Amino acid sequence: MSTSKKINKKDIGKILSQWNQEFTVLVPSKEGDVSKMARWDGKDTGFMDSHRNTVQPVKTNFFPPMEEMFSFQKDKEGYHIEPVSPGEHKLLIFAIRPCDANALAILDVAFKDGYEDPYYLSRRKGTVLIGLGCTNPYDSCFCTSMGSSPSDSTNVDIMLTDIGDEFLIEEITETGKEMIARTEELEEAKKADEAKAKQVKEASYNKVTRKIDTKDIDKKLLACFENKDYWEEVSAKCISCGICTFLCPTCYCFDINDDSFKKQGARFRSWDSCAFPVYTRMPMENPREEKWRRVRQKVCHKFEFFPMNFGSIACVGCGRCIRLCPVNWDITQAIESVPEIT
Amino acid sequence: MTVTNMSQGKRFFASDNVYLPHLAIIEKIIEETPGVKTFHFNFKDEKLRKEFSFKSGQFAEYSVLGVGEAPFCISSSPSRSDHLEFATQQVGKVTNALHRLGVGAEIGVRGPYGNGFPLDFLEGKNLIFVGGGIGLAPLRSLIWNAIDNRGKYENIDIIYGARSPGDLCFKYDLDTWDKDKTINIVSTIDKEDKGWSGRVGFVPKVLEEVAPSASNAVAIVCGPPVMIRFTFPVLIKLGFTPGQMITTLEKKMKCGIGKCGRCNIGNLYVCRDGPVFTYAQIKNFVSSEY
Amino acid sequence: MKNSEIEQRLRQEAKALLEQGKVDYIIGYETGSLKFTTTPLITRNKDDVERLIVSPFIVNNLSVYLTEIKGKAGIIAKGCDSRSIVNLMQDNKIAREDVVIMGIPCPGLIDLKKIELLLGKDRDEFDSVIRHNDRAVTTINGKEKDFPIAEVLFDNCLECEFPVPQEYDVLLGEPCAPVTGEVSKKTSIKELEAMPRGERWNYWKEEFSRCIRCYACRDICPACFCQRCFVEESEPQWVSPTPKWQDNLMFQVTRNIHVAGRCTDCGECERVCPMNIPLRSLAKKMYDIVDEQFQYKAGMDKNAPPLLTAYEAAEAEDFIR
Repeated sequence: MSTSKKINKKDIGKILSQWNQEFTVLVPSKEGDVSKMARWDGKDTGFMDSHRNTVQPVKTNFFPPMEEMFSFQKDKEGYHIEPVSPGEHKLLIFAIRPCDANALAILDVAFKDGYEDPYYLSRRKGTVLIGLGCTNPYDSCFCTSMGSSPSDSTNVDIMLTDIGDEFLIEEITETGKEMIARTEELEEAKKADEAKAKQVKEASYNKVTRKIDTKDIDKKLLACFENKDYWEEVSAKCISCGICTFLCPTCYCFDINDDSFKKQGARFRSWDSCAFPVYTRMPMENPREEKWRRVRQKVCHKFEFFPMNFGSIACVGCGRCIRLCPVNWDITQAIESVPEIT
Repeated sequence: MTVTNMSQGKRFFASDNVYLPHLAIIEKIIEETPGVKTFHFNFKDEKLRKEFSFKSGQFAEYSVLGVGEAPFCISSSPSRSDHLEFATQQVGKVTNALHRLGVGAEIGVRGPYGNGFPLDFLEGKNLIFVGGGIGLAPLRSLIWNAIDNRGKYENIDIIYGARSPGDLCFKYDLDTWDKDKTINIVSTIDKEDKGWSGRVGFVPKVLEEVAPSASNAVAIVCGPPVMIRFTFPVLIKLGFTPGQMITTLEKKMKCGIGKCGRCNIGNLYVCRDGPVFTYAQIKNFVSSEY
Repeated sequence: MKNSEIEQRLRQEAKALLEQGKVDYIIGYETGSLKFTTTPLITRNKDDVERLIVSPFIVNNLSVYLTEIKGKAGIIAKGCDSRSIVNLMQDNKIAREDVVIMGIPCPGLIDLKKIELLLGKDRDEFDSVIRHNDRAVTTINGKEKDFPIAEVLFDNCLECEFPVPQEYDVLLGEPCAPVTGEVSKKTSIKELEAMPRGERWNYWKEEFSRCIRCYACRDICPACFCQRCFVEESEPQWVSPTPKWQDNLMFQVTRNIHVAGRCTDCGECERVCPMNIPLRSLAKKMYDIVDEQFQYKAGMDKNAPPLLTAYEAAEAEDFIR
């Protein structure tokens, strides 16, 4: 007997409603035409028609563009600092793509390492991820070169595969297994369904046409660190905006600022980007004044420094940076152009 | 040689949240130079005051609530703990706000962060301190720590300089160290100045002239980036190996705990893996990024 | 003249400029790494000029690179781009002799986002998109579908008054007339002006709540050439770096004021916004205000002083109380 289940796409609302009792269910939504994971309204399942990844990455739900860290007030006794209460989140993210799920695993490492980040981790705690395999990758996708694939279920609890009118449902983690056990309206999957899913997964893998070779990329980058001519050429058309880093599911740099009015205020953190000239600006000097140093930093952080610290490349091949870059600066072209070690 | 692993140090969190500052009161302000002040402070919370500990070379993030937060090393020595100190130059939004504060004002403090100087490694060795301007602040913590534990270390040599006599920081310390027979101190200023009868010359140049021996020695360097960049080649010339050269670096910081990303040199974060580094650790990236 | 002929001439010109040492860089367009996309080509190498292309998708306003290039540049410019270049000359950011302008009369560029909305598919799923005079012909899975060109051109192309470059050293292609067609389907100035104020305020509040302060609008704009942007000042802090909608709105409005009289309505700000905020509605309104109040359009005369830095004694002062 197979352990897979399945459900007709038309009936998705039925299982989402069940999960909605226990979790805050997030589904792919459009907000001003810019898709992101947002709270399910309880009835609309039109998002099922869209078969591609959201514009805004899932990191937005755990590490938002802006969040309050604490507030403070001053009275005659002095200051009083009021921490933001973490709250109970219990999120369920429905139809997260393998690349975004892998990205969360990377962010988990970064936010846990050394000192734990209470804001990200409190949102992340208890989150259930229902993955949906991709059947129509973009021409900008390159997950297969980053140790993943359109059907990679490594970092999700339950994996869905589109087999036509139905989704095949596979349990991946213990949490996923328990959830499936207590979810009603699921049908048993037949051998034929599982065979179809296998076919779909293979076909999707082959649809990813963009490929890069990351073998020894960290060593190659180390060797050309001082090669100013190379980096100037690679960075020439970059305009130093924050689009690639902000829409990247694994980028996590942030800024901290205070806002206050009279005797009260709050401290916020907000997305920041190593691409900005002022990112490393100090009053007396700026080590990355020139654009080529900043572009070098971004590439080297993702493909050399992060792997040195944590063992994995901080890029999941989602391709958002390529699609959304105002000048079509392409990280896969940059990686392929890194000189060989002589 | 390994630099001390910072995660072994003690942590002092408010409400389990590493980003929340503790409140502290400023008890004394010393104007070191026009534009540089030392602040003496103590935590408001009695218990924290007693329990707080840190290592020389570590830093803390100081807040003027409503204005912002900035990192400065703790310039007092752990061996003298009736109060804590930090020194800062007035250069931007947060430091301007700090310099406007008076005694009794409340600031936020969170820390200590960073790895601190490797005391075990330094024990039994000749210590050569090379400092410039306000860069003396972190060195000062270690110098006093060494003086208070004098038996643990061999020779203590200090070469310290600033742009002009008025820019020399911690003059009260310089005087005291000058009188201490167990310490050799050479002060210098960049250019001739009437009223100054001591040495004249940039710190790296004076270092070359003084030419301390590299045998069983460790050089500890701190100052403006340009000074550090020119000091390393001099030390190499004098026979110091990359493992014998320690520096404490400064980068733009926000979180202070290795999360926000901006203070990195290569794969190392100045706030988490530093600010104390050996030259061996950073030499791949130092000429280009620092 | 067909695009392929223009390309041939362009490549010859560009190569000659580099070979004769008249310029240090050529700045043009080449095929991008995604379907239909083009990307800036900035090169010193005369062999690279073979990659230069001209197509209905050459969107970037390349003049944005002129303030950072070190040396002389040979640059490809459409109508709006050439006015941006003239602007930079008016503002003394570049000298006329440091730039060789290869002008391309522009019949309008195709907005792939509009085609994606019309066809309900993403651009990498199209087989082809070709312009035949006043129609755009798309092919998906072998099936053709065509649209009146006015439905798929960029909004600012539909309102373009000067498709032929104002200033150039060589003109590649035949001069063309401005595109005529209905003004855009996106929220237009007229629609906004018809909204009651409360509704309009809520409209912008919602739009700017999506802004993530990526600054792409600022960084892609050739008129935003300040070394230190006002948003990066902390003393005084004009605008909070935290992306609250009020600060986001203030940033954009202030930016529009700063580029008033410099903006040539190239539309890049709106094209690049990843959050689909209708930035051109603000930029174009400012453009119209400048036109109405000062009878001035940016980038038409390289010898004219920049609009808001010139003063004449005869100017009205009745608004000063």
